[in-house]
Formats: sequence, C-alpha cells, structure tokens
Amino acid sequence: MKLILDQVVARRGRWSFMAQGGFGSGIHLVTGDVGSGKSTLALIMARLFPPEQGAVRSEQILTVMLSAQFPEFYLTGLTVAEECVSWGLDADQILRAAGLCISTSTPPLCLSRGELKRLHLACILARQYDLLLLDEPFSSLDCSEKERLCTEISRRQDGITILFTHEQATFPHIDHIWEIADNCLVDCGVLPGALERWQHAPALVKKLVRAGRVPENLTSDNIREAACRTRG
Amino acid sequence: MITLDDICCRSLVIDHLEIPPGITSIIGPNGSGKTTLIRLCAGLLDPKTGTVLIDGKTPRQTETGYVNEFPDRNILFSTVNDELASPLRFCHIPCKEITEIITTHAGVLGISHLLGRRMQDLSGGEKVLVAFAAACITRPTLLTLDEYDSHLDATRCAAIEIVQRQSGAIYIVRCTQQMETAAAGDYLLFIDHGRTIRAGTPASVFSSLSGTPYYPLSWRCLV
Repeated sequence: MKLILDQVVARRGRWSFMAQGGFGSGIHLVTGDVGSGKSTLALIMARLFPPEQGAVRSEQILTVMLSAQFPEFYLTGLTVAEECVSWGLDADQILRAAGLCISTSTPPLCLSRGELKRLHLACILARQYDLLLLDEPFSSLDCSEKERLCTEISRRQDGITILFTHEQATFPHIDHIWEIADNCLVDCGVLPGALERWQHAPALVKKLVRAGRVPENLTSDNIREAACRTRG
Repeated sequence: MITLDDICCRSLVIDHLEIPPGITSIIGPNGSGKTTLIRLCAGLLDPKTGTVLIDGKTPRQTETGYVNEFPDRNILFSTVNDELASPLRFCHIPCKEITEIITTHAGVLGISHLLGRRMQDLSGGEKVLVAFAAACITRPTLLTLDEYDSHLDATRCAAIEIVQRQSGAIYIVRCTQQMETAAAGDYLLFIDHGRTIRAGTPASVFSSLSGTPYYPLSWRCLV
C-alpha cells in the first residue's frame, strides 16, 4: 500500500509549494509553520484539491478518509444522534468511544469545541480506512484525550495514517517524519534518525538531541527515557 | 483584581474566585467550563446568578479583546486589513493613524504579508493570528483568549507570548491545552466539572497535578 506524490505543485494566488515523496504503511507526521500548506497537502492527498502540476498516485488504497481541521463545517446532523447516523454509526456506541456523557439529542454545535472534536474523531476512528488523513487531530483536545487518541491511532495496524499537526507534547509512535520548509515537502526520514534532521521538532526534543540523548521515538515514554538516560 | 462571586452559569459554579493582574491560564478537561469562564470575564455571557467585577467595573464597562475558540467565529469583515482596522475605526481614530497602527502591529506579529488577503483564504493558524491581532490592537484592559494556540506552531506561540506581555493589557485570561504555555503564565486555574479545583501559581497548581497528563512534559523530563 502506498501513496505517491509525483512532482506535485500546488498554487493559491502568489503562494505555492512543491511535494515529492512516497508514503507507505505506517504512521507519518507532517509538520510546518502556520500557512505553510499542511491543510492544502492533506486536501491534495485526499484528492479534494487538484495540484497545478504533477500527480497523486496510489497503490492498493481503496478507502480514504480525511478528518478536516474544523469539524464544525462538516456536520450534517442537527443532533448528536443524527450526526452519528449520518456516519452509519450508533450514537450510544460513539458517545462511549468518545468518553462523552451527553444526551444524544444535544445539537452538535452546542458542544464545546473539544467535545465536538472528540465526537468527530470517534466517528472517524470507528472504521478502518486504507488511507487516514488527520488534519490537526489534537487541537482542542484535553491532555487525557490527546493520550487516548494516540493509543487509538497506534492501534491502527494496517494502512497509511498521516498526521498534520502543530502538537508539541503528545504523539503516538511515529514511523516517518516530513516537514514543509521553504515551500517544499522535506523527507526527514524514519525515526530515530529523522529527529536529528527535523527543523520543526518540539523544543524538548531538540534539547535532547543537542544533548546527545536522541529519543527512540516521540511517545512520552520515549521522551522520558531519553531524558533520564545516562550517557555512556 | 477580577472577582467572581456566587456565579452560576451553565455548568460553571463558582463561590468566590479572584484573578490577579498578569497572565492567567485556564486548563481542564473538555466541557469543564473554561469557555464559559472566559466568556463571563469578557462580558459575552451574563451569569444567571452572581457578579463579575474587573477592578470594580462590570465586564461590559471594561475595554476587552476576545478571541473565540472557533477561528472562523472571529471573522466580521472580508479582508485582513478591514478586520484589523475595524476596532480602531469604532474608536473614531483618524484613518492615517489607523494605517500606521496596523502597519506597526502587523509587523510585530509577523503578519504584514497577510494584510491584503481575504479572510476566507487564510489557513486556520493565520485566522487565529489575525483574530489575536484584532483583539489587542486597541490595547484593551482585558484580553481574553480561548484556545488561541491550538492552531499555531511553536515559533508563533513563542512570539505571541511576548506580544501578550507587551500588549498593555492589565489582565490576560486564556484557555489552553498546551501545558507548556500554561506553565509560562503568572497564575493558573484548573477547572473540572464546572468547579475551580485548583488556583495559584503554575508551580503550585501543577505540583497537585503531578502524575496526571496535565503535568508539563518538560517538567517531567528536566534535561
């Protein structure tokens, strides 16, 4: 299973960026500054935004799901129950999965932003997709929910999962890091080596790398282990 | 001092709470009442019972800047320039002065390149940056920021932290799910199930949250 970006060029007004690379099975992390084009890249990968040049090719990818940055724009039900039904899912099961103690008759737009995000992600993660694109999945989630989401993402054994995020502290086990810098998608590579090339690494990770304690991965256990490691 | 007494509003119940001048961060689980508290302080909600006073004045008598947790709900005008100019126009500031203020303010926040853009064409993070710029461009007494950092990269977060300190606001009350940001404030509130569970300096509040996911990762991993 593979998603290939073949000399992709995207343009919006005077802004443009170029992407080249192959995304295989596993969990990929894409980072970049505000306005660097992460969401546009997610749309291109989901084939919802046509590149100006180049092509997006997929091998053995039959099902694709994009979790967009702002779930409030993609609601189709007037109540939580209707919203879940619109996904073909049972509302009570979804509320349990999301850890939400609310009535199924609650209008989704009356939920707090974090609660709405949890509902949205529970609907997305209820099914398995070959290609799962998550744009800012951690935004608005509280610390416990971020950890729970990481566990859920890590459970995905098959398929390609691509996270586009500014998150600095909570990550699942990541297989491959990419970043957008100077209007280009840069392949930082697989972990742990990628951490030494990753310009957008969280401050703590950069500090550990500088101190010669490169974490094995980005989970909080990996970071703690590296911080406590005795150099020898 | 911001004082809240006998508050009952939606799920939020506060007997007595004092928020000192400086940067106060509010943390807590989703749906715990953080946004309700922010909106009470900003005067966007009236409590069913109780009072909110900011140095003896009601919130609606206080100059306040507000950033909504939903980035698109901040947008009133079609262009970035109009979005920044409008709070100044409402204050009847002369046009020439408005242009100068916008140029300086946008430069400080690193958003000069966005001034000619349409709001709807901005990314989520860019919308938040513009909303933040509009909220503090009139140098309000109180700045209320609801999860403003959830779409910002680390560099922008650090820059905005400095701008907050230089904003001239006496009170900055902000919700965040980034514990490193919360740790950088002067005062910290932890809210759960509509109640203020802990209030104090970041060191004192986080010490009571040790062993929970709310404890800052950098504090667990001193390098």
